[in-house]
Amino acid sequence: MTLANLHDVRFTYAFSERPALDGLSLQWEEGRVHGVVGLNASGKSTLCALLRGIIPHFHSGELTGQVEILGRELSEWDPAELSTTIGCVFDNPFTQISGIRDTVFEEIAIGLENLGMPRDELIDRVVAVVRRLGIEHLVEKNPNGLSGGQRQKVAFASIIAMDAEVMVIDEPTSQLDPESSEEVFEIIHGLKDAGKSIVLVEHKIDLLAAYADTITVLREGAVAMSGPTRDVLGAPELPSFGVRPPEVVELAVRLSGDGRDLGVMPMTRAEATRAVGTRMEEAHRAH
Amino acid sequence: MADTALERAARRYGADATLGNPIRDMNPLILLGCVAALAAIAVAVPGWVVAVGMGAVFVVIGFLGGRGSGYLMTFLKLWAAVGLILFVLRALLTRSGEVLVPLGPIAVTTDGVQDGLRFAAAVMAVCAAATLFFALVPMRHLMLALERIGVSPRVSYVLLASFQSIADLGATARVVLDAQKARGIETEGSLLVRVRAFFPVLAPVFLTAMSATEERAIALDARAFNRRGARTSLVRLRSPRWWEWVVLAVLVLAALATAIGANLA
Repeated sequence: MTLANLHDVRFTYAFSERPALDGLSLQWEEGRVHGVVGLNASGKSTLCALLRGIIPHFHSGELTGQVEILGRELSEWDPAELSTTIGCVFDNPFTQISGIRDTVFEEIAIGLENLGMPRDELIDRVVAVVRRLGIEHLVEKNPNGLSGGQRQKVAFASIIAMDAEVMVIDEPTSQLDPESSEEVFEIIHGLKDAGKSIVLVEHKIDLLAAYADTITVLREGAVAMSGPTRDVLGAPELPSFGVRPPEVVELAVRLSGDGRDLGVMPMTRAEATRAVGTRMEEAHRAH
Repeated sequence: MADTALERAARRYGADATLGNPIRDMNPLILLGCVAALAAIAVAVPGWVVAVGMGAVFVVIGFLGGRGSGYLMTFLKLWAAVGLILFVLRALLTRSGEVLVPLGPIAVTTDGVQDGLRFAAAVMAVCAAATLFFALVPMRHLMLALERIGVSPRVSYVLLASFQSIADLGATARVVLDAQKARGIETEGSLLVRVRAFFPVLAPVFLTAMSATEERAIALDARAFNRRGARTSLVRLRSPRWWEWVVLAVLVLAALATAIGANLA
């Protein structure tokens, strides 16, 4: 099934003069990780809000065009039903905490309580998610006293615990160190393997290159490029949209420019290491 | 193998919530009824002796509930800040009785002292009861008890979030003040300087709070807060023990009897 089918979508926030989305069209399949990149104010967060139904249910404004989520028009979705079908983590960790729970354990359980999950099952689910995210040391802490990175992990854990079919994740690693960012991406990869559909807005392009199946580049509220990760991130026009390609792509392009083409366009360090190794072996044999 | 924090937490949440003290573990609504009944007795009995004595009873309950020292400090501060003012005002404004200390057009009289003591002690008994209740019962437990009798989770959220927002506003104000200080704006010193620095803080603090409230509402919606249907609760209050009902019944009857007796007298 199609995860999202958007055609010529325009949205202007109330009291705003310029549209945040301006003729945006895209089609995403289910069960994949769809990366979204673009400059600031290119419409990434607005796209997330639209997919999650926050637009037009929370944020008022003028919305036109066709928006289909999981085969149904957005207007046909009940907001409460949408909230349990599509999990969402936003970029500001300081407003992702409910502020009404005494411990991280309780914080993660909120969504499950609202879903009416039996207590025993709920506790088991929270324990499993806490272990998965490696935040055992936080469970007894007060969520209001956590750092930005810790809050981000807790917010992420809260949404993962709800086991939604689709997850819209807006910059989940903005406050995390490289190691934690990698861990979060591993979890996202695991979610994909479990059949979840993921829309991921992220600036860490090297990680997106390693984990996303497709990349959509936004510019001024419209899709500038969209397609399989390798095609988009390897495209020479990518920098013209304000998106820097992964470092290994830059390396391959420079080597190619020097007449030392790797033969493939690597997307990850592992791929680059292999390609460079093969290239060195060939050069060694030639001599 | 060592017991991890996660395992301990899971085990704790698997059992009924306990604060490790029989008074604090009472059902919050029953405890509220008991404390209210004691306050009612203090107000209903004429004179100031019972009302003052009830304050002492509240302090004893505070100690029995394991919150004694903190509560005693609050209780004394309340007396010093509110009780004393009420007493002085009442004592000065009552004209009947024998004049003890003449102060120009006004005077402290025997009736004034009696009235002042009575009024201050009664008001302080009510304040002390409310303070004791919130010293013993976490807000979350109170909300759980209210939800159990049918109060909407939305209402309990609004109440809990309101209390939290006070702390959040304070934290935001500190951040804004620090930012102003970093820009060289004077925020410390005399009262006038502090007042002058305070007003420009209000707009960013409240705008930030409004924006955060909207984002928090969306974050809660992402956690199925607006879903219709049955909910469960991770934290489970234990069912009230029989003796809690007995204590409540005795105190409510005592309060009723005192009120009726005072009216008849």
